[in-house]
Order: sequence, then C-alpha cells, then structure tokens
Amino acid sequence: MSAEIEISGLSKVFGQGAGAFHALSGIYLTIETGEFFTLLGPSGCGKTTLLRMIAGFEQPTAGTLRINGEEVAGKGPNARPVNTVFQNYALFPHMSVRDNIGFGLKMLGRPRAEVAATVDEMLRLVRMEAMATRKPSELSGGQQQRVALARALAPRPRVLLLDEPLSALDLKLRKEMQSELKRLQVETGITFVFVTHDQEEALTMSDRIAVMNAGRILQLGTPHEIYNTPSDRFVAGFIGDTNVLSLAVASSGVDGVTLAVPGAGTLPAASLDGLTLLVGQTVTAVVRPEQARLCPLAEADLTATLEQTVFFGTDTHLHLRLADGQGFILRRQNAADEVDPAPGDRLGLRLARGALRVLRD
Amino acid sequence: MAKGFDVRRLPGFASVALLTIALLYVPIVILVVFSFNDSISQSQWAGFSMRWYETAMNNATVRDVSIRSLWLAGVSAGFATVLATLAALGTTRVGRFPGQTMIYALINQPLMVPEIVTGIALLIVVAFVKVQTGYTGMGYMVLAHTAFCIPFAYLPIRARLETLDPNLEIAAADLYAGPVRAFWHITLPLLVPGIMAGFMLGFVTSLDTVVITEFVKSAGQETLPTYMLGQIRRSTTPEMNAVATLFLLLSLVFVTAFFLITRKRG
Repeated sequence: MSAEIEISGLSKVFGQGAGAFHALSGIYLTIETGEFFTLLGPSGCGKTTLLRMIAGFEQPTAGTLRINGEEVAGKGPNARPVNTVFQNYALFPHMSVRDNIGFGLKMLGRPRAEVAATVDEMLRLVRMEAMATRKPSELSGGQQQRVALARALAPRPRVLLLDEPLSALDLKLRKEMQSELKRLQVETGITFVFVTHDQEEALTMSDRIAVMNAGRILQLGTPHEIYNTPSDRFVAGFIGDTNVLSLAVASSGVDGVTLAVPGAGTLPAASLDGLTLLVGQTVTAVVRPEQARLCPLAEADLTATLEQTVFFGTDTHLHLRLADGQGFILRRQNAADEVDPAPGDRLGLRLARGALRVLRD
Repeated sequence: MAKGFDVRRLPGFASVALLTIALLYVPIVILVVFSFNDSISQSQWAGFSMRWYETAMNNATVRDVSIRSLWLAGVSAGFATVLATLAALGTTRVGRFPGQTMIYALINQPLMVPEIVTGIALLIVVAFVKVQTGYTGMGYMVLAHTAFCIPFAYLPIRARLETLDPNLEIAAADLYAGPVRAFWHITLPLLVPGIMAGFMLGFVTSLDTVVITEFVKSAGQETLPTYMLGQIRRSTTPEMNAVATLFLLLSLVFVTAFFLITRKRG
C-alpha cells in the first residue's frame, strides 16, 4: 500500500473577520491507494468541504494536499486525476447516457474508438447497456445514479469522490447501491473517498472511516475500531446507539481502572491510552446496548429497574433505570422462547468484558 | 378539496371580466374585420374583399419599409441577444460582488425609463455624431434598437440561467473540461431555449417601437410602424388595416414561438 492522498495542515476559512467560518481546521490525513475511505459526520462538520477541496472545487486557506505524490493545491478540478459523483448526480440533461459517460474521455482528447470502447465497458460495469441512448430525464433515480458512477469512472481516475451519492434513493435501492458500490470499488481497484452522514452506510462499506465534527477529524480507524473503541463521547454517540454514564473512579493503577457502579460495587473498565484518571473523579463511560445482557440478580454486575420495553422486530430495547437514577438501554435479540420482563421488575445486568469504556469528554 | 375563496362568486365579477376582454380585443377585431371591407369606409360594411391586401402588396413603399423593419429587427435583436447573453452570464455565473443589484437595475433601465426620454437622449447624441462624422447610414438605428432590445433579450436568458444547476458546469470541469469547453459543451446548449426566447422578444420589441425610430431615423429610413403612423396622420384607409393585420399576424407567430420555446424545457 502507498499513499494516494496526503493531506497536511489543511484549513478552510469562509469569510473574514468576526463573521469568518472555520469549515476545516488543521486536517492531517493519509488515504491509501485502493482504499474505500469514508468521511463521516453530521451536516456542517466539514466533510463535504474536504471532499470539494480534494476535487479542486474549493482551494484551501492553508496546508498542502498531495494526490499520488503531486501537490495539487492551486490546480483546478480539470487538472486533477480525480472524478466526482455528485449528490444530485449533475448528469448533463441534453446528452444521452452514452455521451454523458464519454464526456470525460472526450475532453481528455482520447481517440473516438477508445472512447466508444470504454463507454461500452462502463455501461456493462454498471449494467446499463439497454439504456445507452436514453436521456437522463428518462431514467429512474437508481439508473441516474449508475450513469453518474459510470461517467466518473470512465476516465479511470486515481480517486473517485462520492458526495452522499445514496441520500436521494429510497431505503431498498440504497441497500442495493451500497453493495454495488463496494463491488465497483473492488473490481476497479480505484481509491474511493465517500462522504456520508449515515453511520450504518459508513460501517458496512468502508475500509477506514474518519469521523468528523466542527471542522476536525475526531477519530480515524477501521469500522471495528470506530465502533468498538470510540475515542470520545461524540464518536460514541454518533456511531450506533450507546449508553453514556457518569461514574466515579474507584481505583486506578497499572493493572487498569475500576469504576464505582451504583448499588453494585465496582467494575473493571477499559480506558484510552494516556488518559489520567484520579480516584474519586467522575468520568464519562459508555456501554453499547447489545453488550449488556440480563442475568440472575445474584450474578449481576449491576441492577436496574425496568421502565418500558420497545419492540423492534429482530430485537427489543429495554429502557432501564439504575439505582442512582441514570438511564440505561439494553438491546436483547428476540427469541420465541423468551418472555419479556414486565415494567417495574428489578433486573440483574451482566456486561461483556471490555464493554465499559472510559472516554475523553 | 376545501371550498375556498372563489372570485367567480363575487357579484359583478363576470361583467367586469367581459368588459376587460372586450376592451382588449374589440378594437383589434374591428381593425381586422375592416381590412376585408370592400369599401374605403371604416364604418360601413360593404362586403368581403381582399382588395386592400392587394393594394398593400403592390405598394412598393410598404414592401420597402417592411423589409427595412425586418432587417433592422433581425440585426438589432441579434446584437442585443449576444450582449444580453454575456450580461446574463456576468450577473449569474460569478460570486456575489458589491453593486450587483445596481448593475441588474442598470441593465433593465430601458424597461423603466420612459421611451420618449430615451428617444430624445438618442436624438441629441445621434445629431451630434452626425454633425461630427457626416455619417447618416443605418448604423444609428441599429445601435439605438440594439440598446433598447437588450433588457428584453436579457430577461428570458437570465431566467433560464438561474434554473440551470451550477453543478453541471462544476461536473464538466471535474471531467477535464476547461472553462471555454465547459461553456461550449454544457452551458451554451442548455441556454439555447433562453437565447432563442430572448432573440424573439428583442425582435418583436424592435419591430414594434415607434418612438425610438422616430427620433433616430434619417431621411429614407422609415420603418413599418413609422410609415403607418405617417399614413394614418393624413387619412385612414383600409390599406393600413390590411398592413396592420399582417403585422399582427407576424407578431402572433413570434409570441407563439416564444411561448412554445419557453414552455418546452428539459
């Protein structure tokens, strides 16, 4: 693996003076060749600005941006080996599907025969052979999406940028296109940089994810790392559901940390490297709802009172209240032979090893 | 559907509506009807005849001024459309800049300044230039009509540009098209309906204007409207009804084409 995109100290400020908006502040990031890389974050976090800077639609206020080792800051989008799939597809309405797909190659001055051959190949790749002579307005949303992909892939860019390309599709089509995108990425070997605010989409498709908020990258890692070892409260809350608890440190030493759990003594907790914890200090700790299970009261790590149950089909969420009043949600997979406890019941909970994690605030 | 306010239930609505329609169209209908009158009278119907059309067709002056009007309208609307297209691009395809609204207002100035004022202003300038240069050709008329037509051509072009997704041009740039080729392959083809509508509106405006022409024209530069005005000052003959009817027909063709072009969009 080698570095496809190297971003160093990249900042973007819109406007000046008191009204200036810092869209991106000091981004450092390396994206590897052939990687499916996702920029994930809420709207306004700077992920689209970062994508637009890689594409060349925006120029950075400060910092450097290298694509395949070459500095591209200051270069326009037509001088970068990068193509974009736009959120609204931006297909050329006056051109046929064929002409849309061939546009990039035509602009690159490739011979007519080569353009035709590549367009045919792209039509096959996205399974749109039958629609080659149609105009974009005669296509469904999913079909337009495929044409937009083919158009961006046809010039064989080093990097394909995707700006929330699935957000306009309905749920079923979105699932289909997710696996389609993954297939295309594997088949072409092109580096994909994907922008989304949908954490599930990010987890299922990406090799690595950068979680962003307020113009910064909060955590960079594989989907497993991001989900299982979130670095802070924002990441933990943004990726999946999580229980956020305020707990006091009971002990802290070389062999780990224990936290005082209301009404149940102490529990060992995983902690971030380099986080200094003082005994008695109140810290933020998280537990995923699926990492706790019900157990007999005698074996329980902690106890709680059931307030209500919410049925989700494949699983049920139990809304619990701990002894000190903090809320806790437990997710239980539904099985035919189990009976849900009733509201008001006192229940014992057992946590998976390493499930309780102390976070930076 | 909930029964809302329906203006048709207001007392007197129908009569006002009918009166308005009558006001708009009865004079035109009378003009057209009497162009077919087999008499010189404008009030006594003496049977159907095409004789006034024949007279008009055989009138060399009518032919000359018509050709001049069409030529002038074509050339002026052509220039005005090119300039209006550039103006529309310059006011929509750039970042916001101070004075943008001012420029928008300035481009539309002829829509707001009374035509007579523009006419007199042009008269003074043209008279001055004529004295200085001695040139008395159609150049003045082309310049005056072009300037007058720009805002009419500008409006539909700008409207079309504003509905175009700016992402299309960005996508073209992303696909290795430089600014010139992005404009040529993407913006311009998509702008064609707006440009055609702008040209037609400019053409009809030029064809129609009397005031500007009256003030700017030199000897022997009568256009159809100023010629008709001159004829009617002397005596009203059904020949002018026939010419006016043909003129109306031409305008209708253009307005219909304008409507069809602006309605049919991708």
